[in-house]
Amino acid sequence: MSVELVAQRPTSGTPRRYEFPPFERHRLPNGLTVLTVEMPGRPLVSASLILRNGASDEKPAEAGATVLAARALSEGTERYDAIALVEAAERLGASLHAEAGWDATTAGVDVPAERLEPALDLLAEMVGRPTFPTAEVDRLREERLNDILQARADPRRRVEEGFVDTIYTPDSPYHRPSGGLRETVETLRPEILGGTHRRGLDPEQITLVVGGDLEGLDVPDIAERLFGGWVARPGSARPGPVVGRSAVPRRFVRLFDRPGSVQTEIRIGHVGLPRRIPDFHAVSVMSTILGGLFNSRLNMNLREDKGYTYGANAGFDMRRGAGPFSARAAVNTEVTVPSIREMLAELGRLRQEPVTAAELSAGRDFLVGVFPLRFETPGPVVGALAGLVVHDLPDDELSRYRPALEAVMIDDVQAAATAHIDPDRAAIVLVGDAERIASELETGDFGPVEVVPAEEEAGT
Amino acid sequence: MALPAVRFTDERLPNGLRLVMSEDHLAPVVAVNVWYDVGSKHEVPGKTGFAHLFEHVMFQGSAHVGKAEHIALVQAAGGTMNGTTWLDRTNYYETMPSHQLELALWLEADRLGSLLDALSQENLDNQRDVVKNEKRWSYDNRPYGTWNEKLQAHLFPKEHPYHHPTIGSMADLDAASLEDVKEFFRTYYAPNNAVLAIVGDFEPERARDWVERYFGGIPANPSIPRLGNLSLPAVIGKERREVVPDRVPLPRIYFGFRAPPFGDVRLDALEVGSHILAGGRGSRLYRRLVRDERIAQDVTLFALGFVGGASIAAGWATVRPAVTIERVESAFLEELEKFGREPVTDDELARARALVESEELASLGRVEERADRMAMYATLFDDPDLINRQLGRYLAVTADQIRDVAREVFRPDNRVVLTYVPAEPPADEAANAEEIPQDEEIAA
Repeated sequence: MSVELVAQRPTSGTPRRYEFPPFERHRLPNGLTVLTVEMPGRPLVSASLILRNGASDEKPAEAGATVLAARALSEGTERYDAIALVEAAERLGASLHAEAGWDATTAGVDVPAERLEPALDLLAEMVGRPTFPTAEVDRLREERLNDILQARADPRRRVEEGFVDTIYTPDSPYHRPSGGLRETVETLRPEILGGTHRRGLDPEQITLVVGGDLEGLDVPDIAERLFGGWVARPGSARPGPVVGRSAVPRRFVRLFDRPGSVQTEIRIGHVGLPRRIPDFHAVSVMSTILGGLFNSRLNMNLREDKGYTYGANAGFDMRRGAGPFSARAAVNTEVTVPSIREMLAELGRLRQEPVTAAELSAGRDFLVGVFPLRFETPGPVVGALAGLVVHDLPDDELSRYRPALEAVMIDDVQAAATAHIDPDRAAIVLVGDAERIASELETGDFGPVEVVPAEEEAGT
Repeated sequence: MALPAVRFTDERLPNGLRLVMSEDHLAPVVAVNVWYDVGSKHEVPGKTGFAHLFEHVMFQGSAHVGKAEHIALVQAAGGTMNGTTWLDRTNYYETMPSHQLELALWLEADRLGSLLDALSQENLDNQRDVVKNEKRWSYDNRPYGTWNEKLQAHLFPKEHPYHHPTIGSMADLDAASLEDVKEFFRTYYAPNNAVLAIVGDFEPERARDWVERYFGGIPANPSIPRLGNLSLPAVIGKERREVVPDRVPLPRIYFGFRAPPFGDVRLDALEVGSHILAGGRGSRLYRRLVRDERIAQDVTLFALGFVGGASIAAGWATVRPAVTIERVESAFLEELEKFGREPVTDDELARARALVESEELASLGRVEERADRMAMYATLFDDPDLINRQLGRYLAVTADQIRDVAREVFRPDNRVVLTYVPAEPPADEAANAEEIPQDEEIAA
């Protein structure tokens, strides 16, 4: 049985020209912005209404109100109760949704083009006239409290919560989950949610983004009918600055004990960067080389060389304020200490040595090449435009993304690493079996080791 | 709204490789998807987890490609890729900028033609460790993480290959030898056991030339063993129950049922029905357990389609604090029982149809999904054109068909009930399976 293969690797063909789909900007007389993106041949249209009240702007005592308010939008409006609203959406084949993150509340719908107008009508009703019925808010609050319990038991969620609580000072909203903490969620009532939601209800601060095959649809005209009557509500506000201060003067280890764990969840990192930074593209290439690609330094070392983990990665969570940077892996318990050592070494090496030309092109070419793949359908295109709105980025940000990446050089990558990654001021946060790893951690030269006992865990 | 028809060609190379191609020039993207007719159902006792471990080995290099270089080349070309293993099959795919199609075809051909040239004990040992960490991460260290394995074991008898999970057991993974891996490759990885689908922005004539050039010299395996008869009785015979102490704050009840095989119109009816029962905030189970009675934190119900004798219908409800497990279980089962007694209303069916239609529109909008579906329909049903007919099958489902299949499936003598209850730590195995079980992937 003979096999005949072609040894010669094929060379690439000629790239087809690609531009991020052009979009049009309209402004309704009341100040509400409408962005439309024509994507011929895409009959499933995606629409998003972006309100600029994010969880980072809420009062600390009301932490979780923004996320809960977004969840409660569909629980009843002036015209519909919760069931009537969801049934009306389902009859249109529309998935109507609303969610809040740190920077914005987003409500949206995906629907076949010919049913866009009735779907947007439901969206306008849900966002513009929610009633926050007490009984439904009570239920959602209890569900969130139960979810907080569940998160404690899941090592993946526990380590994320423990990590941000460790790296940020308590006056930063980012030290807590965007969904809030038990003691704040317990106090949330309909009037608080109503107030939180009204913060975002200023048409000057609202953008509607619609993408898909819009042939025959006059979207600005539809938007004027449905949203043109909106006026700023009392209590509406513009987003303010976000505090993102580090609570880690020098490196230390915090281990949340979870007896019997067969793996240790590891997060190593510190306060990172906001989205609006001059070296955004250099940082993107740098973190792709460190922990974004499958063949990133972290994954090749910890997985493909050592077999310590199913996957190791790293990245910056860029928000309006400085979100976290972390390197992440879940490793076999016995190799916790060597894994941390390798991860710290990779963070240091990125600062100390320039990346190779091959690494630079691997990271850069991946980001450049994969860009068109991300925007095949309307949903991600609308999502990317929502990102421009949330971060106040210029209209040409997406069309200049690829040229800006192409311009990143080896020195830029090293400069970004030196400026933004600091293993000496990183927190090492772990969820794992203290009995099996705590004493070895002491000998690891990682800094002081603090163990948070499991009983304390259960009681909080 | 009608979905646009997917036009495609369907042919075979002399060595048996089935080639399905479909053009779509909307976006500068092309998807390559190779399905091999081998899954965890082909594993024998003592060698569970093998098909999936093997999938990992497929990324460790071949005659002209170094270890982990397959992924490096695809990513540097601006593409994405993965491999997945499931009970009935294994697949490998690349989604590429259109001018990089040839590279993806060459890479797939090189590993199919010459994997064993590069296979070493060291690489096998490394991927064995990776897979063991995948098992720890996805199952053993997660709240409720063992439910899928337990449901399969209860729903299928020991001698049936769906009895064991795709991830396998630690002991079997440890025992896998280099010779086992080689034998597995020689047996199942042959062009006549594969379907290659290419969908997106490309020229079919050139693509066919490339396929012939790169795959044409790989010989068929004339003696691929066929699995025996996997048919099963429609029901498991009697209710099976298990209480599982786990490190979880809230109890959760999992329900499992044997269901008609994938491809049977009754499974279509069950899938449409599961939208009505648990497909969102307007569904019956959500309304009653979560919204009205407030006894559950969440509910879900879905079907996992398999071709080998029976599928799985499964669901769960997480019990709220201060509510008895019994109350949640009986409310859940009451709704299932009612479903088998009375037909759903016209409005419920119309809403479910509209949602199914939009979901199909959303998933078939991407060339990657279209390539996957056509390779799947060709591999499992010898019928890639199902991509044009499956939505019609869902939309043709009637209220009576839903009632009938519910009555057949949701019977007490066809039911597995797993109850996860909070245990004192430490538990040996733990974990949160918020999502529907996934096939096993090369990379998270």
